[in-house]
Formats: sequence, structure tokens, C-alpha cells
Amino acid sequence: MSYYDIDAILTDAEKIPCTFQIDVPDLGYLDNQPGHTLKSGSRVALPIWLAEMLAIANTGTVDMDDPSQSSKSFITFDLPPALGNDVVQALKADPRSVPLRDQSAHFYALATHMMELSEEPELSAVLRKTFVSRAAEIALHARKVGGGGSSYHGRDGGGAGGKGKGKATKDDNASNLGVGGAGEDFLRGLDEWERKLFRSAHDGTKASKEWMENVKKR
Amino acid sequence: MALPLPPGLTQNEVAFLAEMEMVTVVPRQRLDSIDLLGGKTPQLRPPHRAQLPLWLALLLKKQRRANIVPPAWMHPASLAEIIHRETKEDPEAFSPPPPPPSRALYSQPGTARRLNPSYLDDFTQPQQDSQQDPNSILSPPFLPSNVAESPAGYLPYHWLEVAEALLTHAGDDMPAPAGEVRSLLRDLVEVRAAKMRSSTSALEGFGDAYLTLRGVGAMELAENRSFLAGLVDGVRKIGASAEATRREEEEEARRGGDYGGDGDEDSDEDMGL
Repeated sequence: MSYYDIDAILTDAEKIPCTFQIDVPDLGYLDNQPGHTLKSGSRVALPIWLAEMLAIANTGTVDMDDPSQSSKSFITFDLPPALGNDVVQALKADPRSVPLRDQSAHFYALATHMMELSEEPELSAVLRKTFVSRAAEIALHARKVGGGGSSYHGRDGGGAGGKGKGKATKDDNASNLGVGGAGEDFLRGLDEWERKLFRSAHDGTKASKEWMENVKKR
Repeated sequence: MALPLPPGLTQNEVAFLAEMEMVTVVPRQRLDSIDLLGGKTPQLRPPHRAQLPLWLALLLKKQRRANIVPPAWMHPASLAEIIHRETKEDPEAFSPPPPPPSRALYSQPGTARRLNPSYLDDFTQPQQDSQQDPNSILSPPFLPSNVAESPAGYLPYHWLEVAEALLTHAGDDMPAPAGEVRSLLRDLVEVRAAKMRSSTSALEGFGDAYLTLRGVGAMELAENRSFLAGLVDGVRKIGASAEATRREEEEEARRGGDYGGDGDEDSDEDMGL
């Protein structure tokens, strides 16, 4: 992700659990013991940009007598709780009912970054399937919210109950109010990538609608 | 200043380009041929039909100097058949585009050849229309898919734009009440939009996956372009690191094979101890 990209910066600010492998003097305040040394083995939540650097760097010393002491990395990290096992299981069961935003506003970006740092083949497959199935749902809601016409197809009878043609507010949240209950919950649970998708789908539908109205005026 | 529009054409631009399509016109007054950049328009001698670009046809219609003959695929029976095919016969793929024109050219009746031959065709036959380069494969809006003689039961590329334009400005020339045709068109729009949404599920599987968009119309593309591009891009990003790892492994395997399985460039200096 690029250096200046706001989403990348915000993603990197998310915290992940890290375990220190060495003793660090004077950093005790991170573990609620100000003034003391931070002991090896203590777990602290650090932002990704820091954790990444510390995990890759190492002490660089070579200890002939005790090889296990040479070139240790400063910390090791785990996946954040947003990508924990229960979330993954919930996504495998029903991707559309998990409110990703509650886990992290930058869920996919976070996951992608973590996958760059460590191999996670299962996560990759689950996320791909999740993303695609939620995207279909997003397109559906975008069409409805955009004042979509009569639903000819019978595929989804439920979903957004009243096709409340709430005004499409131009704020950058893009989750239009006025959609029926279940739809609103779903739209509230979208993460940033999905919000962008929703906005582009919604804009497309809206422009088409406008064009159809304006054909007469030509 | 950054342009706020997404990349690609907007709906108005697509409609503008669609006006280059040729339609059949029944003139009511004589008109000499006009020299346009693309060629000369035919002379209009009522009551003979002629083919004109849509924009010119609409202009003449507004001036009441011509009537437009709607293409055969716009007939309610044809539209109903297309809807049936979309919903019942083939709910997965879009209905196919019209076959390439291989009708007889009006200038030489009795012969039937493709109007836009590919480079594989035989060129020893004499060129019928001097304007057409044998090596060009025509694409919309230069395919004659909206003239009266176009095959029914197929939706050409600019179907929605041309249909809306004709309904709005030449509604009285339709074979059926404009309201009926319009409601059939709306149904068709909804059906195909639903299909477009569900076609994205093809991307769920691992490995290479693709969406087939054969038969999709221009307006539908304009509407869904940024969404589909965003979707495919997201899938790419999610799989990016796995892809990179796979590529590295492939590289390793290939390089290992080149060196006879060893891959160790220092084998000459190795003392073998």
C-alpha cells in the first residue's frame, strides 16, 4: 500500500498483540509498571507499523557460547483479535451476517497486511469468499437504496422491507438511512473497502436512473 | 483539479455514442445526400426506406420529415422471448449478442456474405462496398444491429439507449403501444441487473476465476463498471500475498530445475567435505 494512502496509514495504526523476546529497560510503563524493566515474555499491544519493524529487525549480536541468544527478533506477534478464530468460523458459516465493522473498520486492509507478514492460506480463502458474497449483497442494497424499480426477480423477497426511498445524503458514510431494518444492519457493518464498493454501485445505479428520467428531456 | 467521475464512460456519454448506430428511416420529404465524415448519407426519396445514423433520424423525426422504423428486436413478442430466455432458459449467462451480419447487401441482392469479414476470410471475392476495409472487424455502433432488418430475439450492444431514444421521440412509430414496450424493457433491465449481481459469485472459487460478460449492453456496463472493477481489485488484493508466494515457489522450482536439481552456484568451490 502506498505511503500517502490514508487508508493504509489508518490500517497500520491498528494494534496487534506482541510478545517481547528480550528485556527492555525503562519501557515498563507499557505494562503498567513505570520505572521498571519490561521483561521478556510480556504481551503488549503495539501498532502494526511498529510491530512490523520490530519483528523483522533483530538484535544482531552473535553469541558463540549460547546460540539461542544470537540474533533474536525483538518481538513476535500474533493475529489481532479481529482476525481471531471465532471470527473466521463465523465468516465460514455465514459471511453476510457478520458485522465486519465491529471487528475493525479496516478489516480487509488489516487482514491483507497481516497476510503479507505471515502465511495464512485458510484466512485468504475464507476472506475471498466472504468478500465476494458480501459484495453481491452490497450490490443488491445499492440498487434498492438508489430508488430501484420494481424487483422483477423473486430471488430476494426479504431484505430491506419497505423500499424506503430515503434521500441519499451526500455525507461520506454513504450508508443511506431509510432502508428497512435488516438492510440497515448490514450496511452499518460494512468495512471501508465495502463502503467504497457500495458507493460505486450506488453511484452507478443513481446515474442510470437519472439518465432514464432525462431521456425525455432531450 | 481531480475529476470526480470514476474511470470509464458515463451514461450520457454512452447514450451519445449510441447515436451513431444506424436505423431505418422512412422519409416523408426528399433530401439530398449529406457529406458526413463517415461517408455520404443516402439520398432520401420517399417512400423508399434508407439507413441513417440515429442522431440524424431523430432530428428528421422532430422536424416531421421522416418516420423511424423500429428494429425487429424491439417488437413486444421479441422482447418477451428474450425475457423468457433470460429467466428460464439460461439464468446464468446473459442472452447472446446478435449474430454477425451476413445478410445480403441491398446493392447486390441474391448474395449473402458477412459484412465484416475477419482476416481469415478469403479476399479473392470482389469487394462489394468500397467503403469497407476487408481487414476491419466492425464493432458497435458500426454493426447494423438496429436497422429494421436486424434479427429479432437478440439484444444488440446499445439496446437500452436506442430503445429509450426511439420510445421517447418516435413512440408513434412503434408496432405496439409505447407503454407496453417500455414496461417490457424495464423488466429486462431488472432481470439483467440481477444477473449481473449474481454473476459475481463466480469469483468465489480459489485460483483463476473470471466473469463472463458476453451479451452485456453498453448502459449496463457503464452502470456496473466501477463496482465490478472494485470487486475484482479487492479479490486481487486479498490474494496478493498468496500469489506472490506461489510465484516465488515457481521461480525456485524453475531455477532448481535449470541447474540440474542442485541450484547451488558454489558447487565448484565446494570441497566436498
